[in-house]
Amino acid sequence: MIIPIRCFSCGKVIADLYEKYVDLISNPQDEEGNPMADGDAMDKLGLNRYCCRRMMLTHVDLIEKLLRYNPAERDIIKVGGPGRA
Amino acid sequence: MVVRRSNGDVVESFGSSREVTAPEHEITMTMNGPHQPTNPWAPLTPEQQEARKVVNVNAETVTNTAATDIPGHYGPEQDDSWNLERFRDNFRIDFHHNKPHDAAFSLVGCDASISNAFRRILLAEVPTLAIEDVFMFNNTSIIQDEVLSHRIGLIPLTGGEKGLRWLRWFRKKPPTDDFASQAAYDADGEPSTPSDYNTVVLELKVDCRWATEAEDGRDGKKLAKEGETDPNVRYVNSNVYARDFRFLPQGQQGTYFSGDDAIRPVNPDILIAKLRPGQKIHLQCHCIKGVGMDHAKFSPVATASYRLLPQITITSPILGADAKKFARCFPKGVIGLEPSDESDPDSEPKAVVKDPMKDTVSRECLRHDEFKGKVKLGRIRDHFIFSVESTGQLRSDELFLDSVRLLKAKTERFKRHLAEFEEGR
Repeated sequence: MIIPIRCFSCGKVIADLYEKYVDLISNPQDEEGNPMADGDAMDKLGLNRYCCRRMMLTHVDLIEKLLRYNPAERDIIKVGGPGRA
Repeated sequence: MVVRRSNGDVVESFGSSREVTAPEHEITMTMNGPHQPTNPWAPLTPEQQEARKVVNVNAETVTNTAATDIPGHYGPEQDDSWNLERFRDNFRIDFHHNKPHDAAFSLVGCDASISNAFRRILLAEVPTLAIEDVFMFNNTSIIQDEVLSHRIGLIPLTGGEKGLRWLRWFRKKPPTDDFASQAAYDADGEPSTPSDYNTVVLELKVDCRWATEAEDGRDGKKLAKEGETDPNVRYVNSNVYARDFRFLPQGQQGTYFSGDDAIRPVNPDILIAKLRPGQKIHLQCHCIKGVGMDHAKFSPVATASYRLLPQITITSPILGADAKKFARCFPKGVIGLEPSDESDPDSEPKAVVKDPMKDTVSRECLRHDEFKGKVKLGRIRDHFIFSVESTGQLRSDELFLDSVRLLKAKTERFKRHLAEFEEGR
């Protein structure tokens, strides 16, 4: 659902690295405008063991989908137009 | 096990095979001639002393795994008794790197049982401060109370070291279904009540709302209508981070934890929850001291592990193209190439062992026929390469010293109990 605070196996804190990781692999990082490869991004963030690497690599951030169901926001969704919740 | 003396005599046999042989010694023994009787109980030669330190890593098997420096193992004339002077001369600690969050050092000249005790104490018995009780006042986020509590419990905290050492234990009530610890808990002493010397209070109060022109200089609703999708632009406080925790000093805590020494999360950027407008989280936490055997959140290390120093022995020269192939069988930097003739720099390259510390003992070189009989792999039994990765509450090197102190305290307690036992109390 949301990125776990720590690696399940070794206990290294990883929740502070997820946003940096997503930024590295989705936004341009070199002069040609390419994002970084997953493996290089994890190396850069200091995720050296394969237990911590799988935490990043296999995480599905479902909370982003669930956040769209916010009853307090219903009127705004109408304002925001279809698909822009 | 077969204990074979250097002259080939089998001294003892106990089932599985083990050989203690040193070729150099064999030559000296044959020079003694057939008329002089050799002593099967002679103490080990320096070569044999070295050889018994090595765990042999072969293509399919690992042999000589058990330590043999036990008194009486080689008969009465080999002195293997434990001696403080000898231990002090042989024991060594070399640091490879020492950063607050990650230290690596070699522990040379001690038994596996001692190194393993340090490792286990580091993982489970060094006390640290962590969030234990969460009082939820309001939580309308989509992360449920119990999930949120679990998440914030795992956040490593730090603060002034003096203050952290000043904090005392909180005697926590054991779970109701654990009758043994319940009885022990009832038997001794008063239960703890939260107080300034055993409990630290943190507060988290976050309220997510749309960004407004008046407060944030941008109208989130208007931007949303225009197609803005970035939650950080549309909303305020849509992400809850560990840095949002506020430390509420109680009583004397103000003197120990003020300014830079305040109790705070080690990693301020930990994402705790995500919110949308109208959702709020308001909670208070009580942090207490605990040990890793109770819950992993109290463990002061992410990992504390050791490996034995690899040993690579090239028994006959590996030259030319073979040397290059040999170097590729190991991680970078383990094997170097040098000219086989020292006076001629253009001579054929020869493989030499540069840095066995970097080797992973993958045994790749044992799979190739061209290296057969030319290389021996092993590990040094009493050379432990420790790696301690602290979560940040205490420095990694300080943690290791703590584990030594704890082991010492435990042995003293054990000795005291033994004395009481002898006295018949």
